[in-house]
Amino acid sequence: MNEWVIETKGLSKRYKGRYAVSNLNLKIARGDIYGFLGPNGAGKTTTIRMLLGLIKPSNGSVHIFGKALNKDKLSILRRIGSLVEYPSYYGHLSAVDNLEAIRRILDVPTARIAEVLDIVGLAKEARRPVKGFSLGMKQRLGIASALLGNPELLMLDEPTNGLDPSGILEIRELIKQMPKQHGITVLISSHLLSEVELTAGTVGIIRQGELVFQDTIENLHQQAKGSISLSVSEPELAMTLLKEHGINAIMNDSSILLEQTNNETIARMVKRLVERDHSIYRVEEKRKSLEDLFLQIVGEGKRA
Amino acid sequence: MMGKALSSDFLKIRGKGLWFLVFLGPIGLVAMQALNFGLRYDYMTQTYAGQLWETLLQNILLFVPLALFLGITLVSSQLANVEHSSNAWKQLLALPVSRSIVFSSKFTLCVILLTVSCLLLAIGTTVLGLSLKFNTDIPIGDIVRLCFMPLLASFPALALMLWLSLTIKNQAIPVSFGIVAAITSLFTINLSEYLPINWPIFAYLGPNQELFAGAGLALGAAIMLIGLLHFNGKDVG
Repeated sequence: MNEWVIETKGLSKRYKGRYAVSNLNLKIARGDIYGFLGPNGAGKTTTIRMLLGLIKPSNGSVHIFGKALNKDKLSILRRIGSLVEYPSYYGHLSAVDNLEAIRRILDVPTARIAEVLDIVGLAKEARRPVKGFSLGMKQRLGIASALLGNPELLMLDEPTNGLDPSGILEIRELIKQMPKQHGITVLISSHLLSEVELTAGTVGIIRQGELVFQDTIENLHQQAKGSISLSVSEPELAMTLLKEHGINAIMNDSSILLEQTNNETIARMVKRLVERDHSIYRVEEKRKSLEDLFLQIVGEGKRA
Repeated sequence: MMGKALSSDFLKIRGKGLWFLVFLGPIGLVAMQALNFGLRYDYMTQTYAGQLWETLLQNILLFVPLALFLGITLVSSQLANVEHSSNAWKQLLALPVSRSIVFSSKFTLCVILLTVSCLLLAIGTTVLGLSLKFNTDIPIGDIVRLCFMPLLASFPALALMLWLSLTIKNQAIPVSFGIVAAITSLFTINLSEYLPINWPIFAYLGPNQELFAGAGLALGAAIMLIGLLHFNGKDVG
């Protein structure tokens, strides 16, 4: 009955009368990488904190692995690894001791510490106190802690914050492997679309606490498809002609915009126009990048 | 589960100066009396001949509540700060461990550390008395009572300080409060015996010592329960 690893219904969080997150209905499928996108302050971290039971929702429910979070919190958390915002670490302890402090609670074999350090590429620095680590290394240690308990679900809140390009690439590759190699479902939040574009199968976009888009990345690409713009000598006449032939177009200033971009339609249209002696100055494809689309989705409803 | 959380907490306090504090308290108290008796040995042994052990214990007792309150303040704050300073609450509380366990584990750790402190005080007092060549008729019962009854009676302070330290990120607040309370405790002895701040000293001195220790335990448990409920329902920011 429950195919969703994470399902929230009407999830809301109110702080002093203002909704930080409102009426969120997330659906995350098993084995998927879910990119949770939104600008800073949109409610991503608040949502993830609610999913981890760190803060209590004002309204709505969270189901993880088909179980209610407020009822089976501990058994659910046992199967989740998380990294929330900036990394948590005990600066005076070494990387190994940091993981050991968590391992004692999770009760996994000691050998797992070496494994996760190896996965995130910190094996060489394992004995140094963490306070001397660079931000990128701390972030990796955070990911190592998240992986320690062999989780089925990983929640990573902006995991590539503070990493250099090669670090970002590494983490991205690491995340990509998770579903394939270990069957782990991943929820990864970011304020950069480009960040999750290459890894995520599904994206949810949150704006001012509301989910404004939730679909597969392919469908997002579909939406981002371009349009064809045509500039001709007599646009009004051209429009009438196109309408006669059943081609839907819109006038935009002195150019004609076509949402459809398949080759036959374009070819047919140009042919008809040329037959009627229209001068065609330009046929341009206007491509919207995913980033533009993201900004558009995120920007809607914002006061100019 | 409690054991796991506790062993994790023991690991985390490594190198945080907590063990240093645990040793500093009793060693400080004993060193003070070593000076007191050492510098005026002849005067003391003549004036208090026949009741040297009692005098030593009385002298130590004056500072036991102060040391306890200071110790409780610093230990609980340092302990909480391990999590605060590293932003570790969100990580710790997202682990499969209930908040009650987390809270109780910290409380237990405090109790263990303070017990070690008190045990050291008992040993130190005995060693001091023997090295000052007091008679070998050691009042073991009194020493044990001196070191542990005030501890039991100070449980309300422990529960309160731990609660404050764990829930307030800015440790300056609980630490200032604790230090002010510790110093105040030196001057409140003539006020009502219903004041919990006086209980540690009455738990050794007064009639009804057990009552004061018992009341301390009970009030401590009550405060801890309230703290626990608050901690359980708190949003982790």
